[in-house]
Amino acid sequence: MSVTYLEAIREAQFEALRSDPNVFVYGQDIGQFGGAFKATKGLAREFPGRVLDAPISEDAMVGMAVGAAIEGARPIVEMQFADFSSVGFNQIVNQAATLYWRTNTPCPITIRLPSGGTAGSGPFHSQSMESIYAHYPGLVILTPATVEDAYWMLLDSVKLDDPVIFCEHKFLYYHLKAESFGERSLPIGKARIARPGRHATIVAYSAMVHEALRAADELQMEGYQIEVVDLRSVKPMDTDTILGSVARTGRLLVVGESFPWGGVTAEVIARVSTEAFHMLDAPPMRLNSKDTPIPYHPNLWKAHRPTVGSICDALRRLLRF
Amino acid sequence: MTPAVPITCTKADLTPEFRDQYLATYRQMQSSRVLEEKLGSLYRAGGRIVGGVYLGRGQEAFSAAVAMQLRRGQDVYAPLIRDQAGRMAFGEPITDALRTYLGAATGPMRGRDGNIHRGRPQEGELAMISHLGAMVSVVAGALFAKRLRGTMADAVGATSIGDGATSTGSFHEAINMAAVERLPLIISVANNQFAYSTSNDRQFACQDLMDRARGYGVAGWKVDATDLAACLKVARSAVAAARAGGGPQLIVGTLLRLGGHGEHDDASYIPDEVKFSKVGQDCLLVAEKLMIAEGWSTQEEINGWLKEARATVDQAVSLVSKEPIPDPYRESWQALSSSELVESWQL
Amino acid sequence: MPTIPILMPQLGESIAEATVVRILIEPGQRVEPGADIFEVETNKATMAVAAPCGGVVDQMIAKANESYAVGAALGSLQVSDEDAQALGFQDDPKAPVNTSQPANTDSVHFQFSDEDAIHDIQPKVEPIVGGLPVPAGATGASFISPRMRARMLELGINSSDLAGVAGTGAGGRVTVDDFETFLRTIEQHRMTPASPMRIAVADSMRRSWSRPLATVGSPVVLDAILAHRKKADPKPGPALYAIRALALALAENTAVAGRLIGSRIVHPRAIDIGFAVEVDDGVLVPVLREVDKTPLCTMVKTYNTLVEQARARRLPNDVNRPGIATVTNFGTFGIVWATPIPLPEQNLVLGLGAGMKTPHWSAEVNQFIPLTMAELTLSFDHRILDGGGAGRLLSRVAELLQTPEKL
Repeated sequence: MSVTYLEAIREAQFEALRSDPNVFVYGQDIGQFGGAFKATKGLAREFPGRVLDAPISEDAMVGMAVGAAIEGARPIVEMQFADFSSVGFNQIVNQAATLYWRTNTPCPITIRLPSGGTAGSGPFHSQSMESIYAHYPGLVILTPATVEDAYWMLLDSVKLDDPVIFCEHKFLYYHLKAESFGERSLPIGKARIARPGRHATIVAYSAMVHEALRAADELQMEGYQIEVVDLRSVKPMDTDTILGSVARTGRLLVVGESFPWGGVTAEVIARVSTEAFHMLDAPPMRLNSKDTPIPYHPNLWKAHRPTVGSICDALRRLLRF
Repeated sequence: MTPAVPITCTKADLTPEFRDQYLATYRQMQSSRVLEEKLGSLYRAGGRIVGGVYLGRGQEAFSAAVAMQLRRGQDVYAPLIRDQAGRMAFGEPITDALRTYLGAATGPMRGRDGNIHRGRPQEGELAMISHLGAMVSVVAGALFAKRLRGTMADAVGATSIGDGATSTGSFHEAINMAAVERLPLIISVANNQFAYSTSNDRQFACQDLMDRARGYGVAGWKVDATDLAACLKVARSAVAAARAGGGPQLIVGTLLRLGGHGEHDDASYIPDEVKFSKVGQDCLLVAEKLMIAEGWSTQEEINGWLKEARATVDQAVSLVSKEPIPDPYRESWQALSSSELVESWQL
Repeated sequence: MPTIPILMPQLGESIAEATVVRILIEPGQRVEPGADIFEVETNKATMAVAAPCGGVVDQMIAKANESYAVGAALGSLQVSDEDAQALGFQDDPKAPVNTSQPANTDSVHFQFSDEDAIHDIQPKVEPIVGGLPVPAGATGASFISPRMRARMLELGINSSDLAGVAGTGAGGRVTVDDFETFLRTIEQHRMTPASPMRIAVADSMRRSWSRPLATVGSPVVLDAILAHRKKADPKPGPALYAIRALALALAENTAVAGRLIGSRIVHPRAIDIGFAVEVDDGVLVPVLREVDKTPLCTMVKTYNTLVEQARARRLPNDVNRPGIATVTNFGTFGIVWATPIPLPEQNLVLGLGAGMKTPHWSAEVNQFIPLTMAELTLSFDHRILDGGGAGRLLSRVAELLQTPEKL
């Protein structure tokens, strides 16, 4: 019996709806249709009146969620693609993210963003928005890389009294399977050592964790043990675990799928450079996508993002420094 | 749907009960005017007010009329820039306004936001963000949640917005969504002829803002917003319709902003012929005229109320002036309510 | 002997992987260069894969009827150094070639469907040094990473101590791993503590050596000085004659004792000369002030006092007024010739070797006459002074030493 990353997300929503009558889900095509990716399949029937189709109005969807949260509800907003959340950007960063700080009223909303690229999805169905949202204070940004985290972290998000941007990776939806959800392993805000090592550390998150693990496998054949850290949550970021890993290995590569300027990879390196400068035996490196919009054609798309190959190349350069 | 002609009052409408609400509303309007004049004068004195000052002079009748129909604790209200009168009618203490403007740490925003960006969301009074149009969906959401949780009863949500804000995408998305969900949302559009310096002819192309109601599938109301009696009649009708399940109500009031966009703005772009036309009447003077004509009050009584209002405001200013300002060393500097997730990392 | 991986070659333009049909070799078997070792099947054809060079089969990874991507390791071959170099495998791989099982079996690996597989990965073996991002100013072997620096600070080690450590990092730099290995090795030797004096001298010499130093030598006849000294009371130490002669010679041309800072020579303001005194485990250099203005006989007492103070380690603290040159009389140890190292803040050190009675041809009397000869050596910072100038300075000193009564 195996369960996919997508099924984990659906099950988590089911559990959230079942255990708290204040929870509702709002998004385009999520009702009877079950969502563009079937993340809410069957939920509208199971919980009538609580899994509702929204008009194509990302701004109003988020504003509405904030208002509902003020009144005691716990809304989950599904953006059909992370890329479209930019239409609701104002409500996310200026309404939801500032509510508690300005008025002392918590804002328990969860916004699910189907993120990341798949071959052929193009510039507006492939984006990873974690870096942009993490920049704004008042938001929690989660990037589950495993089936277990997709389940438990979504459940935790709904229970959290703060706005959560839940970045689910579309590629992992159907391709990532696990035996079960397991037990809740780590709380929000803690990173996981996905693979212990001693020669270099890769810090990654979301789908890149898997690319990093495969790169580590390949480097193992050359005699290197590469440690892989799965951030799990981009914000808050578990700096201590990262620093501990760099203390063990002395070499750091940070891999992210989002655009190269600023963002998660730059943030990790800034923190490591300041707090663990004396732990570094080589300059810290990062790997992101190229500084262009995300291409459509698979040949271009594969070259645009970090791959096992480019991660291995970067690692070899890092290790031989 | 409702008639396209502006709602007006006839003698028949002026029942004793109506009179009582009229007088109560007038007093809120007068207090609001006094408070705002004080804010303006403090601003001009320099060194007292932190940031800009945005007043609702001329819009008191329209603002207070709707707010008088609301029940604090049950209904939801999202006042905007020129709703001092509405806030008072909804029960906001005047110290909230003064503390926020004078930058006292004791105000509801605790120095973290200022001037008209204030509220008490947990008491149903939302604190606006600067992006116009953004609050409409929030009120809609609050109503949605009430219905979901079974606490709606006959509650309504009310929000104000100006002619300019009806151009925003946020407004469009929100009113459309509220209509689809059939929520009891009152949207008062105060068409005060100018959005900062931009006149209507550069703001929208439809002949009448009320035409939009039909486009969204909601009820539309039109009123001469300088006439308190008409405002009260419209407000009562619209709120009643919403409470009865009539879905969103769009009320368009025509008036003139009797001042600049902010106190820093001299509004020299408002032409004289507009200023001295019917739309430029001062709603307080119009109301006083009716009150005296109907024998509901006398000039002495009105003057007495004015004196009382001034004393109240002066006392409040004196109180708030002694209160402490925010101390950055005492601030939590925490943007999340979940303390365990606030990074100890010094960013 | 190095071991290299046998990789699935590029079999055709669009071929991404191939199935191994037959394995023609087994571990331990010797193969000739070019001999067929596998048969593989692609969607186009069946073809043979040849050995990249001669050698002995080390490990077999590939299994029959399994598919492997282009570039995947199929096994390994033990080959000669030259072959390994020629094929671009510079070193032994750090560990034997493993099977492709992930070490961490708890992690979940997801399977790509065919159209998502990224076929253009070619695990290349990269050359160790070419084109690596060594930071500007890192200049290869002398780059010390922050982690290294922290570790060195922790252990009180400076960069010259690393001179003997083999570096495996970029440009030959010493990495933390190299360093830790080195430390473990020296732990196995007998170790005694170095005194603070030793460490101070070590640091001073290390800093001095950062300049291009050279030495010239010239013979000097000591008889005049020896005769003068016999009659003098109090008796000046032999070094004092050299100190005074050097001071007078330098007064004639202060540039040679100047400091080269950028493009300018900073001349000394006073001809203060230091002299080396051997102390326990090291050397101290007391300084005589304005030696050009002070006749020899009046310096004797000061000199003797300074020697006593040096031996008792009670020298006055005038570190802010160093001398401009130093004289060292290593002749007292029997050394005839040496190349002393000037102090880091000076350009010149004059060495006086042991005097020896040697026969010297005299043209005047047409026979060998006995003379007491010694070597004067001058070590100098070659940026300030060249051989000619150094030689002239030495000649002048030797000349002045022939008329000790004028010193």
